[in-house]
Amino acid sequence: MQNMTIIGVFDDEQKFVSAMEDLKANSITIKEVYTPYPIHDVFHLLERKTRFTYAAFLYGVAAVIGVLGFLYYTSVIDWPLNFGGKPTNAFPSFIVITIILTILSITILSLFTFSIVARVYPGKTPKMPDIRSTDDKFVMVVDRHSSASAMLKENGATEVYEKEVEYL
Amino acid sequence: METKFTLNQRYKIICFGLIIIGIAAFVYGYLTNPTEAWANLLLNNYYFLSIAIGASFFMALQYITQSGWSAMFKRVPEAMSSFIPVAAIVMLLIFFGMDHLYHWAHHGAAETDPVIAHKAPYLNIPFFFIRIVIYFSLWMVLTHLLRKFSIQEDLEGGLKYFEKSELYSKIYIFLLGFTFSLASFDWIMSLDVHWFSNIFALKMFVTGFYHGVAMLALIVILLHERGHYKELNSSHMMDFSRYIFMLSILWGYFFFAQFMLIWFSNIPEETIYYAKMWNNGWKALFYVNIVLNWFLPFMILMSKKADRNRQIVKWVAIILIFGQWIDMYIHIFPAITITPVFGFIEIGAFLGFAGLFALVFGYTLSKAAMIPANHPYLEESLYHHVE
Repeated sequence: MQNMTIIGVFDDEQKFVSAMEDLKANSITIKEVYTPYPIHDVFHLLERKTRFTYAAFLYGVAAVIGVLGFLYYTSVIDWPLNFGGKPTNAFPSFIVITIILTILSITILSLFTFSIVARVYPGKTPKMPDIRSTDDKFVMVVDRHSSASAMLKENGATEVYEKEVEYL
Repeated sequence: METKFTLNQRYKIICFGLIIIGIAAFVYGYLTNPTEAWANLLLNNYYFLSIAIGASFFMALQYITQSGWSAMFKRVPEAMSSFIPVAAIVMLLIFFGMDHLYHWAHHGAAETDPVIAHKAPYLNIPFFFIRIVIYFSLWMVLTHLLRKFSIQEDLEGGLKYFEKSELYSKIYIFLLGFTFSLASFDWIMSLDVHWFSNIFALKMFVTGFYHGVAMLALIVILLHERGHYKELNSSHMMDFSRYIFMLSILWGYFFFAQFMLIWFSNIPEETIYYAKMWNNGWKALFYVNIVLNWFLPFMILMSKKADRNRQIVKWVAIILIFGQWIDMYIHIFPAITITPVFGFIEIGAFLGFAGLFALVFGYTLSKAAMIPANHPYLEESLYHHVE
């Protein structure tokens, strides 16, 4: 019974957000939320920080260095060819390829980073306390606390129930 | 509502002082090196004209996209675009310096040079000035109408003037795209009459828009620091820096697109343009131009924290003021002098035009309420909030 939590199900985004504010004001831990679409206020109220953008920037820097190094290796060191009298290290003509490959590298590496960090992979069975959050319901998982259920109901939760959620 | 902007004595004295420095620099240049003096006149007039055009384009863009966030300070781009009539007068003064600036305007140039003879039906002095009059009258009429609707809206309210502004903004953007392209061909590209580039007009337009928005952001921040626009918050700052960031990429893109095609095809009549920029001491400026106008704004404003910070956006805008000057300098001066020149004439002419711009701007801004009273998106702008 260690992982017993309270699940609140909402119909309305506004009520959901105000319930979150109420719970936070009473320092009751909100473990996780499941919403049909991203909501900015929820992101702020959960106080989640992400270092994802820094990772993407680092991938970009690495990709620029890698692509330019690769182009330099192929066209200057390994197989120098004369194109219309241009220097073999034709830097301006490398830039377009660098931009394209940098975008590609950032996209793919970000995808894998996200998959690893969030443990999402093709064919994974979704783990969520209430499957209706993929449809039109806003669901939050709250720490078991004496006043939590009442507070959820007060703020307009359509359903409140207890459930064991072991993966949070 | 917010009080009006008052043009105090100190502001006027500083502006007139700068204008006097400018006139002194021009007279000094005219006596010692007339070509350089005229080139500076063209550079600075084009500089502030493109900022005014950029601001008016920004204003028109806000109308046609029905943007709410900028409604609060739309009097600032309106006041900035009031520099256009002044620029028209100065541009007409170029008539007396045609011989110094434009090779094609020399008497008898068409007889010895087949390229100039071929271009003569377009590039001749009477038609050049007819075009100047056409461009400026279109810009002046349309920016004046937008300004008039904005002030009428303050008095009467309702959606009528907003809808009218939107319609005229569409007309303005359409005409501006065409006329400003031709104008940049006429004034800047024809300095080097044998050279041509189709992407040139786009690049000059983006430059004007880019630096116009940067100047607008700087002016709004400075007004905020002087106690106006108290509602200015980090969300407004983020929208400004989104504009600056996006335009820095676009500027770099057009700069590079023009450069790479010419570099790669390596045709002598095209490469002469960059050959001039890469020799005789210009090359450092070529790189400084890239660093100031693309690299620094792009790197500084990338971070989410930095682009909401008022001080950082302010300093980026200040960097871009120098960036725009160097960009214009490297477009105009290689056709005029062999090696880079910088001295009293350059500094004085810039200060003079800055004073003139500030005076016209301040005068127009003080004519109407700082915050439009009946703009339909005013509330959205006052309480602008993104995430």
